[in-house]
Amino acid sequence: MADDVEELALLETLDHLLDRGVVIAGEAVISIGDVDLLYLGLNIVLANVDAIIRTSK
Amino acid sequence: MKRVVIGAHLGREDIEPLATAIAASDVFLSAILVADDQPLGDRELLIRVAKTRGLLLDRATFVAIRYGFSSLTDEEAVAKCAAHTRRWRDLLEKHRDQVEMTLKVAAVSPQKRPDRSGFTSGGDYLKALHAAREAAAVDDTFRDAAERLFPGAAKTRWLHRDASSIELAALVSRAAVESCFEAAADLKQHFAHVPFLLSGPWPLEVFADADDE
Repeated sequence: MADDVEELALLETLDHLLDRGVVIAGEAVISIGDVDLLYLGLNIVLANVDAIIRTSK
Repeated sequence: MKRVVIGAHLGREDIEPLATAIAASDVFLSAILVADDQPLGDRELLIRVAKTRGLLLDRATFVAIRYGFSSLTDEEAVAKCAAHTRRWRDLLEKHRDQVEMTLKVAAVSPQKRPDRSGFTSGGDYLKALHAAREAAAVDDTFRDAAERLFPGAAKTRWLHRDASSIELAALVSRAAVESCFEAAADLKQHFAHVPFLLSGPWPLEVFADADDE
């Protein structure tokens, strides 16, 4: 449970870092290899919802 | 060195020595310096920026700039932000004692994310993505109760971010953060069947968006 809570806090922090705040024009799309970070951000959001459901049980 | 820009602040003292301060015309930009060839997708860098962001918020409220904005010189960073700095200063002066809170709620009927391979048109795919996000819903009774978590909020706004959840963002005073968590614990007692997470405090993110005005 403590690990789940830590994981949730990290996911939430990364979610805010990658998916919130002012976007400076032309600066939003960055990549890791062939995967752009906007896509990575979406995966974090989805994982985050899973973690919320898990820790709620 | 490359500057990875984190946010916009009212004063230099809100930034140094936690991060590098870059003077723009109306605000100071916070940044951390990394090697020119440092990939922005590096896990350690992401965590370093996230931690610095938290420490900066402990000092003072700032306008968050979405991760991924970097520049090779101070001048380049200032030039790219020039169109926004006046508005950021006004926002910071208005909300300097406030922070954002986020209540993320799992949707009652999560929508299936559209499969890109099922669309021949990119436009149709984006429309389907948007429709799936907008269709995500929470129980009306919970929604009303959630809004009462932030009685003194300067602003609140429901957001559809994905097909599985909905979020309520609130702009509250720093002094109200603890009472928000207490109210959320109480909400949990009454809605044990609804998975939700209250998180914060966060810098100005949702309410720094020009679309919010």
